[in-house]
Amino acid sequence: MANNVNLDAHGQELIRQYRELRPALKQLATQAYDELRQALDEQGIYVTAMEHRVKTEHSLAGKLELKGAKYKSIDDITDLVGLRIITFYSDEVDKVAAIAKRIFDIDWQDSVDKRKLHELDAFGYNSLHYICRLRTGGPRFELQMRTALQHVWSTMTHDTGYKGDVKIPREYLRQFSRLAGMMELIDDEFSRLRLVLADYRRQIQSMVKSGKLDEVPLSAGTFRSYLDLQPFNRLNKRIAAVNQAEIYPVPLMPFLPVLESFGLETIGDVQRFIDENSEDAYQLTVSQLAITDLDILSSSTALQNLCLVHVLKQGGGHAGLKAVFDTINGETTANAMLADMILEQAATLPFMSHK
Amino acid sequence: MKTTIQEQDGNMVAILEGSLDTAAVPETEAAMSPLLDVAGKDIILDCTDLQYISSGGLRIFLGILKSAQAKGGQVFITGMNNDVRAVFAMTGFINIFKFK
Repeated sequence: MANNVNLDAHGQELIRQYRELRPALKQLATQAYDELRQALDEQGIYVTAMEHRVKTEHSLAGKLELKGAKYKSIDDITDLVGLRIITFYSDEVDKVAAIAKRIFDIDWQDSVDKRKLHELDAFGYNSLHYICRLRTGGPRFELQMRTALQHVWSTMTHDTGYKGDVKIPREYLRQFSRLAGMMELIDDEFSRLRLVLADYRRQIQSMVKSGKLDEVPLSAGTFRSYLDLQPFNRLNKRIAAVNQAEIYPVPLMPFLPVLESFGLETIGDVQRFIDENSEDAYQLTVSQLAITDLDILSSSTALQNLCLVHVLKQGGGHAGLKAVFDTINGETTANAMLADMILEQAATLPFMSHK
Repeated sequence: MKTTIQEQDGNMVAILEGSLDTAAVPETEAAMSPLLDVAGKDIILDCTDLQYISSGGLRIFLGILKSAQAKGGQVFITGMNNDVRAVFAMTGFINIFKFK
């Protein structure tokens, strides 16, 4: 029996039942965790933390000492197995709850949405608790769902003794309430901001797709959306045709700082940059590849050569070419050699004589 | 073409010497195949004495990179001469690999 706990005969009987049940409880904790983990993954819901535990005998004995008479049998204690899910946003708590409802049987009589229990003139900051059972049967278990901020609140109030046995003066309770109200507001604002940003992202994507490119500022988000339209595909295919090469796809986002360094401010500017330099970039590539039998290229070839040609046409010379390689691949002395190589390959191309 | 694989400072290192032209691809691919099973270590492709690399050679490098990345590992290339570096630049492979 746990130290410093005095249990009556009924309490001791419940502990005996608990010991008998403990292996099954461990298995239940793992199985419930696995089922929920899989369902969350399938729905693409990322949570900050997910944990499971079987109540310790010490903790159970403490509970039984306080209110053992309330439980007729071990089956009446619903938190012997506990799962806790901590989400980023408050609306994700509801999504997790919806998934739990789909995969587990919920005991609605004992489940509590503490978020809805507060008086209108009081603040509280609690989580959603479901009492669940696996669809295949077995003992019930508790599923706690809360946001990261709710978790911080819960942990800190526990640490500061908010729920301890000492009666807290009203002025301090009020300070707790003010903090809880603030936390609720922050949680709601984070969720609202996420929705606003998602909406903004959709608007930008729509503008990119509808061709209103001059109205779309160049940024990481808009450039990513623009790349979805595969704007370098045509040039890449033309280049690949030189040696019947295959094209290996690579991320093009590392080129964004290069485009920004050219002073391109909108996606429309990027489109013009492609239109104005494609033919010359193709000519540069032909001068490089036609004398080789290289038949594999990365999908960055077109954009890289567009950048190099742009630099040469703007009179950027050796320093400008090296700066492009430095930005994309990091600064090395070898980039100076590459700049020399490009200067040599481009020397006889038509655009060099017209610049 | 000579390929030597050895462990150095906790990394797996492939030392490539000679010309990795089309004819040398099959034997080099076989020699480097143990690198496809490497997990928990970074891979270094030492190209100090590599004189030339063909498309087939690039494909071997790419296969090793994809295999390492799938296991959370990294592949670094060291000591490329100017001719080999030029091939990496022309094909855009310079944007795929990390160099030391």
